[in-house]
Amino acid sequence: MVETTALSNVNFEVGKGEFVAIMGPSGCGKSTLLNILGLLDNSDSGEFYFEGVEVSRFSEKQRTNLRKGNIGFIFQSFNLIDELNIFENVELPLLAMNVQQSKRKTRVDEILEQMRIGHRRDHFPRQLSGGQQQRAAIARALITKPKLILADEPTGNLDSSNGEQVMQLLEEMNSIGTTIIMVTHSLIHAERAHRIINLLDGHLVMERSEKIFEPVRRII
Amino acid sequence: MFRQALYSLLRRIAKDKVLYLIIITNLAVGFATFVVLTQFITDQFNYDKYNTMYDRIYRLQLFMDQKENSEKHTWSVTAALSRKDLVDLPEIEKICLMHDVGDNNKSGIFLSVDKKNQLLIRYGYYADQTVFDIFTFRFIEGDPKQALVQPMSIVLSKDVADRLFPGGNALGKQVYGENKVVFNVTGVYENLPVKSTWRPVFLLPMLSFLNLEGWKGYDNDYWSYSFYTYVLLKPNAVSSSVDNKIYSALKDFRKEHHPYLRPMSKLYIDPYFLNTMPVIIGLVAFLSILILALSSINFINLQTANATTRFREIGIKKTAGFNRKQLWYQFMFESMVLTFLGALAGLFIAQLAFTPLNTMIGGEIFSGTFRNWKLVTLIFMVTLLTGILSGLHPAYIISSYNPVAALKQKFITEKTGGISLKKVLVTLQFSISIFILIVGFTIYRQTQYMLNKDLGFNSQTILFSNIVTNRKGSIEPLRQKLLQHQEIKSVCVSDYIPFILPGGDDMNWEGGKPDEKVFVRFSNISYDFVKTYGLKMLSGRDFSRDYNADGNKCLINETAMRIFGWKDAVGKHFKIYGRKDVEVVGVIKDYVVSSVYSSLEPHLYRLVKDSIINNGVYSVNFTPGMEKKAMEIVKKEFEQFFPEDAFDFSNIQFLTRNESAVKAFMGFRKIIALTAILTIIISSIGLFGLILFLTQRKMKEVGIRRVLGFSFGSLYLTLSAEFIKLIFISIVLAWPAAYYVYKVLPAGANKYNLQIWEFIIATLIILLVALGTISFQIVRALRVRPVDILKDE
Repeated sequence: MVETTALSNVNFEVGKGEFVAIMGPSGCGKSTLLNILGLLDNSDSGEFYFEGVEVSRFSEKQRTNLRKGNIGFIFQSFNLIDELNIFENVELPLLAMNVQQSKRKTRVDEILEQMRIGHRRDHFPRQLSGGQQQRAAIARALITKPKLILADEPTGNLDSSNGEQVMQLLEEMNSIGTTIIMVTHSLIHAERAHRIINLLDGHLVMERSEKIFEPVRRII
Repeated sequence: MFRQALYSLLRRIAKDKVLYLIIITNLAVGFATFVVLTQFITDQFNYDKYNTMYDRIYRLQLFMDQKENSEKHTWSVTAALSRKDLVDLPEIEKICLMHDVGDNNKSGIFLSVDKKNQLLIRYGYYADQTVFDIFTFRFIEGDPKQALVQPMSIVLSKDVADRLFPGGNALGKQVYGENKVVFNVTGVYENLPVKSTWRPVFLLPMLSFLNLEGWKGYDNDYWSYSFYTYVLLKPNAVSSSVDNKIYSALKDFRKEHHPYLRPMSKLYIDPYFLNTMPVIIGLVAFLSILILALSSINFINLQTANATTRFREIGIKKTAGFNRKQLWYQFMFESMVLTFLGALAGLFIAQLAFTPLNTMIGGEIFSGTFRNWKLVTLIFMVTLLTGILSGLHPAYIISSYNPVAALKQKFITEKTGGISLKKVLVTLQFSISIFILIVGFTIYRQTQYMLNKDLGFNSQTILFSNIVTNRKGSIEPLRQKLLQHQEIKSVCVSDYIPFILPGGDDMNWEGGKPDEKVFVRFSNISYDFVKTYGLKMLSGRDFSRDYNADGNKCLINETAMRIFGWKDAVGKHFKIYGRKDVEVVGVIKDYVVSSVYSSLEPHLYRLVKDSIINNGVYSVNFTPGMEKKAMEIVKKEFEQFFPEDAFDFSNIQFLTRNESAVKAFMGFRKIIALTAILTIIISSIGLFGLILFLTQRKMKEVGIRRVLGFSFGSLYLTLSAEFIKLIFISIVLAWPAAYYVYKVLPAGANKYNLQIWEFIIATLIILLVALGTISFQIVRALRVRPVDILKDE
């Protein structure tokens, strides 16, 4: 059987409240890295510490439990469920946590207002513009007030105006302490992060922050 | 969570109407078939249940342990057994002795209110007054406690009362029997339910039997088997205790014959331990479960296939924090909702189908399902079980999807080769479908065989009537007058005719051991009986007017010759009633005497020359196509010859088509034919959906091959290869199972020869459905631009 190595020898640390951008050409392993960071996938070897706990050998059940309420996801293609209206889509993470119905309603309505799509709560995704869909997806990611947001090319399917709105939202979230790791092709957007990590063929090749270029620190 | 899942499901149904219509129709048809077949089975156990004493009612029967006697059991018994052996037994609370009115019920007797308008009424009985203590009769007029106390009473069913007295109020009125005796109507009762093993249309008191039938000493007679006896056991009494006591009651007369009691609950299902009905019921039950299993397997496959459209949803929910258990519950919930929707639709379809089904079967088998709470409970439990079992696999598969792959909507690749659950389900689907179709053909052909069996006699152009007369002499003048008409070909008289079973006796024969006896049926016939009924002589000659001594001769049938071990029967002798020595002059080729279901028995015929028989059956063979004219002639001539006596001529087909085994099998055949058709529908739905899904994955390969210039045939092979392999595997499962069903199918003495083409055609039908669906897929593929298939998802 032929094996492919998606990532190799990738070591880095993300501090609480940091905004990190990951860049690299197609096929370099960005999405794989994000999936591992988001506990959607396991690495074959190596260690991953999440808030001081080593989680790389967690079972699926453990990873799901850890993900619940701690990690929010934003995708390039929004990934809203077509059969659910906006309210129901945003409500999903709270359903997964078995939050009571009355509390769910309050929090979802609140966050929809914050995202300026409260008037669209009963509409279905196909009835919204791209920008509105992405704001709905961001609302879903934020509804549980997660510690970490993982965004996989969040502006990839948006025009510049909507893309800019999304970046502003991310910066706002980060300003109140949410850690953000964002995969992007856009250098302009990447430079709004505290730090940029470059990947090439599964290897971490460069890491630079808004300060001067720093050597990689081995944590793992 | 479940509320959201429900909304989501309903929206998906609205969005994908065709798919969910297929899924729900598949389930609905499966459930409807299950309900119909279950109702059919339940109906078989509903006979006689209207009797309030149902659990304590037994019928006296005899077991005849004799060589070569196919009828090992009978419920025709002697009167002496009731009057002498049962009467003092402490276990028995009531006994009812009965006898046919008119010697044989199929011939009937004539009743009238004015001696002119004679109505031929069949299925009347003489019965003891205790009949109303044992059976449940609902009286409309009269008092059951007094109804059969007086000798010349008659108690009528509502149908007969309405025919004799159209205005009602029959009580106290008079009815003439055969224009010879007068009865007083002492009661009218509601028609007994159709689901009754014993269903008299009128009753006369047993007190009248001696006067009317002239049979002195009948209640001491241990030899004549023409009575019936029912008993009511005392509460907590055990029938085996009675059986032990009466086992040897006939030891001084026929020591191989042993009386016993058979409970009412068995009288319809299995009166004679032949296992016929239990096998049929078992087969129908098995088919009903199979069909439900088939539609469940379809459901599993369709749901699993449909799951590929929900990858994204699953990936999103998993990333949003849903664990596998939560997703499993969601998909199980959806499965349960769809199953219940399918079951409800199925119940609705079944209800709608009941009336046309009853018409088709010619019975009242199907009635409101919802009135039968046991059936409703069963259906509910089955629905629950089906929902759970059908949902397990799809829910398990779906909830186990890797969220990353699911988000990318990558097909979950299965290992190629080897055994997978999917292959097992597909093979099962094919196997069950082929099996049900073959069994459907088998049963259809068996009943066709029985219906179309050459009965061995002229069963098309005979008019017959029973006539009870005091007139003496010869029928020759009548015969000559009738033969003057070109429409009439021959005339005869006999005491019994085909499909009216004669009695008989144990007989010894030339060359047989002195104590060896065989039960032989016995008929008295006139000269032209063989000719009239188109019977064939195997050897020797028929009775003839050219031979005066034929009065001391006899004819036998082929079976008698075989049983007696005679190579040439002509000239052989045997003793009738142990005394009279008769010589055989001819052997008649076997014909069906009473039922296509029964095997043949030895039969002996004595000559009555052309004498009028006082209770005989007159038969007239008419020219084909001339029935109406022949009937007019017969009526006119018989009225002149028997002016005082009642008669009512019918075509002999009335007997052959209404024979109970034939009727039962015709009803059964229709049910099975319907089942086979529904199987094809369910299989088609399932195979269509399944093949659609499975070939979907190969569409990219098909697209590439198309671009490279592969032919239609080769594309076909690409898609169909795996299925053809699975169909061959399913043959290995289905064919032996179907053959086993053929072997155990109860068909009495008349099992048809199984043909291989039935197996082949059933398999080809399923193959056709499968290949037809594949063709449909290929045509679709040919319409799509290759670039659209080949672009990355």
